Amino acid sequence: MPAELLALVKHDCPVCDQILPALDAAGVRVVSQSTAEETTAQAERLGLERVPELDDGLVLSQRFDPDAVPTVLLLDGGEERDRVEGIQRDRLAEVGRAAGVALAVGDLPAHRPGCASLTRDPVVARRLAAQAARRDGRLRARTIALGELEDVQEALHERGLTDGLPVVPPTAERVVAMLAHTSRDPQDLVGVVPPYEGRATVEKVAVNAVMAGCPDDALPVVLAAVEAACQEPFALHGLIATTHPAGPTCIVSGPYAERIGMAAAGNCLGQGNRANLTIGRALQLTVRNVGGSRPRVEDRAAHGWAGKVSSCFAERADDAPWPIGPLDGSTSVTLMATEGPRLIVDQLAREPEGLAASFASALQSIAHPKLVLAFDALLLVGPEHGRVFAQAGWSRERLRDALFELTRRPAGELARGAGGSPEGIDPKWISDPQMPVTKFAAPDRIVIAYAGGDAGLFSMVFGSWASGEIGSAPVTTRVEDWT
Amino acid sequence: MSCGLHDVLSFEEAGKPAVLVASDVFTQAAADQAVKLGAPGVHRAFVSHPVQDRTDAEMRAMASAIADELLAALGVA
Amino acid sequence: MVEILDPTGEREAVERPLAARPPAGAPVRIALLDIRKPRGDIFLDELEALLTARGHAVLRTQKPTFTKPAPADVRREIAEQCDAVIEALAD
Repeated sequence: MPAELLALVKHDCPVCDQILPALDAAGVRVVSQSTAEETTAQAERLGLERVPELDDGLVLSQRFDPDAVPTVLLLDGGEERDRVEGIQRDRLAEVGRAAGVALAVGDLPAHRPGCASLTRDPVVARRLAAQAARRDGRLRARTIALGELEDVQEALHERGLTDGLPVVPPTAERVVAMLAHTSRDPQDLVGVVPPYEGRATVEKVAVNAVMAGCPDDALPVVLAAVEAACQEPFALHGLIATTHPAGPTCIVSGPYAERIGMAAAGNCLGQGNRANLTIGRALQLTVRNVGGSRPRVEDRAAHGWAGKVSSCFAERADDAPWPIGPLDGSTSVTLMATEGPRLIVDQLAREPEGLAASFASALQSIAHPKLVLAFDALLLVGPEHGRVFAQAGWSRERLRDALFELTRRPAGELARGAGGSPEGIDPKWISDPQMPVTKFAAPDRIVIAYAGGDAGLFSMVFGSWASGEIGSAPVTTRVEDWT
Repeated sequence: MSCGLHDVLSFEEAGKPAVLVASDVFTQAAADQAVKLGAPGVHRAFVSHPVQDRTDAEMRAMASAIADELLAALGVA
Repeated sequence: MVEILDPTGEREAVERPLAARPPAGAPVRIALLDIRKPRGDIFLDELEALLTARGHAVLRTQKPTFTKPAPADVRREIAEQCDAVIEALAD
């Protein structure tokens, strides 16, 4: 087959207008990136003999991928041998000769750059990327078409796909843009989600992350959180089904948190930070949508708490009293099953022992002051309190061990009926009322984190759900496994 | 209750008739979950809620009252 | 018209059939599986007495916590030693 020319053009390009009459006169095959109406109008305006063909689905344009139009391609047996992008008079004559075509280039300027190819338009590029992802199997989720007359938000609510707040509709374009922030295959399995054994693939997590409103670069953190939630020691099925209010709280520690704009300083547990709120939300949307649990059906929480919509913060690295994050400089996600936080005020303690004593009285009352060994704690130390420990040279472990000791109580004080309340330790287990009983099963059941604003002599304590073997244990995963 | 329902279904799939005893606050949830698990007829029997503050005698009476229903669920006379 | 990707697990509920019931009059070994919520043991003690009095063989067993499905060793014990299971008491 002899060599031939193929020209790619579009309708709203003066450079294409300039070259089209010569291409038309020479009988060159011209294909337009524009619509039928736009192409016909251009042909009429220029007085062309033949209306250019349409590049349906921009298939040819994607194949040859020009930066600019007009682009004239020299094809031999369908394969590209040469191309001229924009007007370059001498080069056009050259490719014309190679194809045995006499192109009337005499009236053309020596050089004139073309206009951006439609494939370089961001909106078009995203659409094409989504189509390509579907074709090559990176996207496998079923598509749901929301009708022309449906309000998108109402439709998503009615289908039971939200957490009660509006969501970002997860179009293929948005999901593909999100997936660009992980090198993992979209069909890799992140975890199996209870109670209905839903398969959370990277793709499914990305769909829910889009819905949550996550910034695209937060995806690896969400993936690490879902991975943690589905690990057996976290006991997600029990956490979902319990009447206890707890939900998953996500603590991000390491440099990736700052890179994606997470809040670790003032108001880190409150409103306003997109990354914190959407990461926690994406985790719970994934749990709900992929696992299938619904409030008052599978989820039996008597009250729940707002953190079951989202509970996520970053540890603060600057001015920290102890090292934050893994020693190798990576970023960890620690997931812990917790209730909502309570305030610990201490405006007066200047020494670590005194401040630890204040913390201990707050820790004592987790769930019930007389219920021991059944719950863990997440202690979030604020910076003005952290400074007290830093100045005294106390490590995180030293504080934790001190709190473990300070939360011992004589067994008699913890007995059922003591202090007037029927709760507590069954007296049959108490041989010596003076014997001290620890609140926590072990020192490492007191998880200590560091975050908060510069001013405010406050720390926060979150009680856990049922802990240890009978319940949930905190699970730590690595963000870099998902980048 | 949800973990128990999954257990009972897995025993059935292993060829062992099984029944879950739960308090009656779970009747609707158990029915909904059974449908979603693909086993709407998975056997469950209910005692009256609450349970935690019952005396030993009350617990024994509950067991006595439900024993026939449990055996019937297992297909045992 | 907006097209979105399905965020759910897309798992169609496959019908899961129940076990065949034993032939009438066949001796049945019944496992009483305690999920270990408080008070359940009293309930199961009484059931054990009632079922034994009716001539059934009873195995008392338990799972470590009600917050997780029964672990493999408990399921294996039941599979090897019993014909039927009563699991109690979820409140």
